[in-house]
Amino acid sequence: MALFVDILLSGVAQGMVFAAIALGLGLVSRATGIVNFAQGAMGMFTTFIAFSLLSRGVGYWPAFVAALAAGAVLGAAVERTLIRPLQGKPALNPVIVTIGLLVVLEGVAGSIWGNVARGFPAAFSQRGLVIGRTRVAFSHFDVFLVCAVVVLVVAIVALFRWTALGLRMRAAAFSPEVSRLLGVRVGRLFTLAWALACAAGSLAGLLVAPLSSFSPYYMDLYLVYGFTAAVLGGLLSPVGALVGGLVTGIAIALVGGYVGPDLQPIAALAMLLLVLMVRPQGLFGTAGVRRV
Amino acid sequence: MTASPTRPGAEAAPSGARKRVALRPLARRLRLPSQPLVRHSILFVLGAGLFYVLTVNVGAYSDYQIGEIAVYAIVLGGLSVLTGLNGQFSLGHGAFMIIGAYTLALLQLHTHVGLVEELVIAAVIAAAAGAVVGVPAARLSPPYLAGVTLMLALGLPQLSAQYGSVFGGEQGLTTTPPPAPGTLSPERWLAWIQLFCALVVLVLLANLVRSRFGRAFRAVRDDEVAAAVSGIHVARTKVLAFTVSAGCAGLGGALLVLSTGVVNVGEFPLSLSIGLLAAMVFGGAGSLVGVWWGAVALVYMPTWSTSLSQHLSLGTSAAAYLSDSFFGVVLIIAMLVSPAGVQGGIRRIGQHLWRTVAGPAFEPVPNDPSLAAPDGTPSEVAGVEAATVRMDQETKERSRP
Amino acid sequence: MLHVEGLSVRYGPVRALDDVSFEARPGKITTVLGANGAGKTTLLRTLSGLVRNHRGTASFDGQRITGRAPESIARLGVSHVPEGRGVIAELTVDENLRLGTFVRVRRGERRAVVDEIYERFPQLRDKRHRSASTLSGGERQMLVIGRALACRPRLLLLDEPSLGLSPIVTAQLMATLRELTTGDGLGAVLVEQNARSALSVADWAIVLNLGRVVVADRPARFAADADLRRHYLGF
Repeated sequence: MALFVDILLSGVAQGMVFAAIALGLGLVSRATGIVNFAQGAMGMFTTFIAFSLLSRGVGYWPAFVAALAAGAVLGAAVERTLIRPLQGKPALNPVIVTIGLLVVLEGVAGSIWGNVARGFPAAFSQRGLVIGRTRVAFSHFDVFLVCAVVVLVVAIVALFRWTALGLRMRAAAFSPEVSRLLGVRVGRLFTLAWALACAAGSLAGLLVAPLSSFSPYYMDLYLVYGFTAAVLGGLLSPVGALVGGLVTGIAIALVGGYVGPDLQPIAALAMLLLVLMVRPQGLFGTAGVRRV
Repeated sequence: MTASPTRPGAEAAPSGARKRVALRPLARRLRLPSQPLVRHSILFVLGAGLFYVLTVNVGAYSDYQIGEIAVYAIVLGGLSVLTGLNGQFSLGHGAFMIIGAYTLALLQLHTHVGLVEELVIAAVIAAAAGAVVGVPAARLSPPYLAGVTLMLALGLPQLSAQYGSVFGGEQGLTTTPPPAPGTLSPERWLAWIQLFCALVVLVLLANLVRSRFGRAFRAVRDDEVAAAVSGIHVARTKVLAFTVSAGCAGLGGALLVLSTGVVNVGEFPLSLSIGLLAAMVFGGAGSLVGVWWGAVALVYMPTWSTSLSQHLSLGTSAAAYLSDSFFGVVLIIAMLVSPAGVQGGIRRIGQHLWRTVAGPAFEPVPNDPSLAAPDGTPSEVAGVEAATVRMDQETKERSRP
Repeated sequence: MLHVEGLSVRYGPVRALDDVSFEARPGKITTVLGANGAGKTTLLRTLSGLVRNHRGTASFDGQRITGRAPESIARLGVSHVPEGRGVIAELTVDENLRLGTFVRVRRGERRAVVDEIYERFPQLRDKRHRSASTLSGGERQMLVIGRALACRPRLLLLDEPSLGLSPIVTAQLMATLRELTTGDGLGAVLVEQNARSALSVADWAIVLNLGRVVVADRPARFAADADLRRHYLGF
């Protein structure tokens, strides 16, 4: 029973990271109809920027904020230089471009920082909390992680639901042409969506770096789990991303705990295929609204 | 791309150029027979002769590299048919190479079948795995296909750690290369075997391209709805393309580990799978001559980037990343400007030269399969080249997986 | 206010518009008639910046609009109501209307502008929080016109507003349009297949045929000249 609870708790923490990635994937996909496979690598890159700052003696929080900002800048730059020129080309092209970007970013990070697994500091203690008399597999850092992602999701939901900017972003995503005829600067909003998404990816990178062996490739698996979560949640709604992340995280943790950690990626693949075959609109999506 | 080298604007063609004489493809000008099987066989013999001369003039290490090039030519050939002809793609072909490689190693470990049987079984098992993946893949739009194959490339290698007793864990399994006859060095013998396999596979693929199946592949690539209306079973065709492609990858994987002597998943990282896709694009999607350019790039890029990073004094660790980054850059540039790869470039130059040397160019009529081969350099295999397509044309956008 | 001079548009080798010139004035309705494929929709899409022209110019209040991006033309006060599916079905009625107010209405006045639209189309107020996808054809047409009005436009470009509407609703729509365009206020360019009802409200009519202006005259002329009607308008 204690094992089960621990697995569940670690699943929740991991699931939150998947949710942050899924949220970023969903933001981009909703705005520009593209799945950004470089999202994980972009998060990795900005986390390495934070790492460099930390090793130069900059404090944790300034480095944290700098990485988020770097993510936003990187996202906007990628949208402007690589994605916008592909408008009107087949769906295959942007997919391959983001894959190419993934490889380039990992290559560049590898040649700058080297392919060695390092430790990345956590903002809070990573020792399990003590509840009653037992120590559970849920630390102060995990609490921070969950809160950070929940805040992110709430902020995105609030942006879309209650602000004029969010309304414009939704309109631009659903119907770019009509939006332009109403004077909405659609191109800028797409850039903004990419910036937000990649900042979310940076957050995921920062949160997960202390939990894994921190090397240029550490986000690869998180990206595919995040992708699974995004598909599960239907790719469109932030809340869907959150739930998809939790479901994926707990399922992965259960497979890891009871079957074997090496089967996790294949289990995620099986889950992804099942969803794509049985319910392609995701658990929460309604048929016909998906754009990708 | 505005002017495709394979399809110069037909509406602009002067009526005289449409005459049969003017339309003769290169193969006919060189008096090559028009029967695909005969023509490809002749090219097979020519290729074999060329490689024989090549290998007897190099050392053992170069034998190894030439063999490696041949192996990648096989894998890229399968991938090229999948993408260039059928409009699908895969980020997970490294996984099918792993399947072929481990099948061969396990057969060597537990059975006493001959090399031919080992290779055939490895290819068949990988093809079967390809069919299994191909069934859902046939229904997926590009982003989902990318995600699924990416997960395959990341997930499959981990099985070897999970079932360490079968697959040997991180150390993997060992393989023994076939004994060389007479005084021949084992490396050279193996390189010959690999080259022979590559030529056989490419000739088979070239024939497939010109067959009923090849036409079905292209029809599905160009317009699934139109293909379905014309009586082509779209899903079955796509699964078949995936199966063939995975089989090639499996054979390539099996042949590759004969050279390395050991099979472990470290040999097949995600970057290999992506590198394969990039090398295929680099050579020119759909071109079975272009696969050789891609294979050469795959084999020599690490060497070149090592010397480049030494030249730039970047340190040794940077070398591996330079070569990975190169393939990433190839993918990005290819998608942004959509060229037909190296082979497309060569063809364009060749076409230009041919025109200036031999007078007015012919206009291929795409609908006539016997005439569809474009003109080009003397080195290219007419007919196979007709399959070259532009990446931006081949996959129709679909709204749902 | 709108001045079109020698406008030509090509789709590849096809000439969609060929040397089109006309003018639209404040408070007046200019209707553009013609058969399917005559270039009517292309004309509107060029004026709102969605299609690049090949030759000629269009200017709005002395400012050149050809070559500008659609959003920047919209900001000048040209409101294009596209044909058919101009409603953003994923948003609510209220959100659709609010979207119109973001550019030319000051922050504090936006609510009042939307309320004004509800005054004009009370049916929309009843469904303000419903998804726009639940509206009937007539209500959708009200919504897109209401949204165009919420932009506080100076020129409306209407593409087949009567499409799919019953004769009664069409008549109401035309009456509303006539009511909106008076004095030296709002001008309108009205593209219609339904020539009869368009001519009933228009101040000026041009007929396009294969991308060229073949007739430009007062609507009364069409009423008088049966040959002209039969030849170009089919009634």
